[in-house]
Amino acid sequence: MKVVEINDVCKTYHDTEVEVKAVDGVTLSFEKGDFAVIVGPSGSGKTTLLNLIGGLDHPTAGEIIVAGHRLSELKPSQLIDFRMEHVGFVFQSYNLIPVLTAAENVEFIMNLQRWPKEKRKARTDEMLQSVGLSDRHKSRPSQLSGGQQQRVAVARALAPRPEFILADEPTANLDTKSAETLLDIMEKLNREEQMTFIFSTHDVRVMKRARRVITLEDGKVVSDIRTNHNS
Amino acid sequence: MITSIAWKNVWRNKTRSLTVIAAVTVGVFAGVFSMAAINSSIVQRIDAAVNEELSHIQVNNKEFRSSGDLLDYISGPGAVISRLEQTEGVTDVTGRVIVRGMASTSAGSSAVEITGINIEKELGMFTLSRRLIPGTGSYFGADTRLNSVFIGEKLARELNIIRYILTPESFQKLTAESVPASVTEKLKEIEGVRFTTEKKLTKALTGILQAKEMKSYGLTIKEAAWSYREGSKIILNFLDVSGNQTGAAFRISGIYRTNNDLYEALSVFVPEAELRELTGLNEGQYHRIIAKLADNDLTGSVTPVIRESLPGLEVLSWKEIQTDLAMITDYINQIYGVFMAIILAGLAFGIVNTMLMSVLERTRELGMLSAIGMNRRRIFVMIMLESIFLSIVGGLAGMTVSAVVIGITGKTGINLVKYAEGMEAFGYSANLYPTIGADFFIILTVMIVITGILSAIYPARKALQLNPVEALRGE
Repeated sequence: MKVVEINDVCKTYHDTEVEVKAVDGVTLSFEKGDFAVIVGPSGSGKTTLLNLIGGLDHPTAGEIIVAGHRLSELKPSQLIDFRMEHVGFVFQSYNLIPVLTAAENVEFIMNLQRWPKEKRKARTDEMLQSVGLSDRHKSRPSQLSGGQQQRVAVARALAPRPEFILADEPTANLDTKSAETLLDIMEKLNREEQMTFIFSTHDVRVMKRARRVITLEDGKVVSDIRTNHNS
Repeated sequence: MITSIAWKNVWRNKTRSLTVIAAVTVGVFAGVFSMAAINSSIVQRIDAAVNEELSHIQVNNKEFRSSGDLLDYISGPGAVISRLEQTEGVTDVTGRVIVRGMASTSAGSSAVEITGINIEKELGMFTLSRRLIPGTGSYFGADTRLNSVFIGEKLARELNIIRYILTPESFQKLTAESVPASVTEKLKEIEGVRFTTEKKLTKALTGILQAKEMKSYGLTIKEAAWSYREGSKIILNFLDVSGNQTGAAFRISGIYRTNNDLYEALSVFVPEAELRELTGLNEGQYHRIIAKLADNDLTGSVTPVIRESLPGLEVLSWKEIQTDLAMITDYINQIYGVFMAIILAGLAFGIVNTMLMSVLERTRELGMLSAIGMNRRRIFVMIMLESIFLSIVGGLAGMTVSAVVIGITGKTGINLVKYAEGMEAFGYSANLYPTIGADFFIILTVMIVITGILSAIYPARKALQLNPVEALRGE
């Protein structure tokens, strides 16, 4: 089942005197349960493509359909709701809410979605356990290591069961051990919850785990390779 | 959840938030306390005007106030008194006989308004008797002989009834008031010397004391030297009903001290019967009938009712007699408004600045919140709540401090002795007992919340302009 369809999408920036085509005629689709990485050199359009898929930015041309929604037809306020309902984000710098505890951060999106309290609590416990932080419910982000913060961020993104997770360089700030632990967790969740993961990365450790590697250069897809990794 | 996050966000940067809260606290306290002090001055002045000088409502013969003629008295005063007593809201009624004349002693003379009063009735209605300076008599007490008069301190000074002598008793008082021995030693030079006026004493003191000593202890020394010979007499001269000059020597039965120099200089009181006898006015003939009300707030509603029921007479409320005081009372709300506006403007600037800093510091976080699905309304509400919390905490702290300080100074009073002369010339007390109504606090709380909301609009709009992509790019 297709979760994301990208048809001949372009994104051009006119920020400077020079027109920059960050994404140039990309056509792709992602299936439910994909564990895909988008790789490429800096400036190849990885993050722009992720932003377009996540409804954070509008394509200059082409069409993106996510879970049956044509993103170009959604108003800005509908796009925010769309992101809340369908997309889980994991950022390079964790981006947890510093004044909330780990559990409150995980609950945050479910709270926005008005999940009943009991259900919310149960899911939070389940997610913190999945990422190996069941003993850090009450810790604030400042009391956690980088790796632990990123695990909380993954738990937050996954907790409301979005259609897919967009992870922009999630391991870039982590040491090897933390990165491996995080990837183990994401692979496990991908397997157990059939959660679709789309990464953008430079990290070989991530590429090695991926079952699909899409390479971008100058905003164009230059290769789309499915591998046989079955963790 | 938004409320909880907003509250926690307020305390993210404790130093900054506490600085703003402290600034709001000081601003609110300064405003509220100043207001309470001004308010107390006016409340005390109104209280004095109503309970010592004018009463709530006065009924006069229509000509009397302009002519001052003894024969312009109220016709049928019995019916007027009875009509007043039957009016709802009126608690006490009494009549006064009033003549204009001269008060004199061998040392001076002064124009006065002599009021003949029913002593028992006036005692129940007015508090002027409580203004009696200790040691000057007993307010028409049992020991008072015939032809007695109750006069103000200002008049007593003008008639040179008050003298200034530094006696051994005065030195004891000065020691008790902690006047240093270095000063009292210098004063020994003028011990026993009788000064007929305060001016002469001041001149003598200036000669022997240093300017600093004079500034610190001058008033205390004058108070200690204040002297009055009990049972002194003054001559009151006026016209009788036939237009003939008449008068008599009156023994001073007491000297009163108010905060109104003009009233003290002009108003003397004698028993009604004595004035009738000297002027030839008959029993029951009054120039003025005065009424006290159950509550000062009833003045505006009861006065027109009485005016309508007594068409041939001049009916005036205290507000109409003392228009300056009434005007100040009416404008006090506007003064409140201006004070509140100043307090709230300061509060608004502080909050806008703080919230703007807070929003700009959190660009990435706010962008991330928008990225993960926190809609614009929720972000807007969150920033609004942060601002409201800051204002409320500061506002409540300011009001608590104000309430405590007003509570304490309301009991102990604030003595503005330096400005006593100027204030008392206008009838205002130099002893302030700050007071302010609960309604002021309620209105201020509401206004602070509204200010918090208004000051958050600009920072909140800034927060909404943030683009989540920029936030992610910012990484």
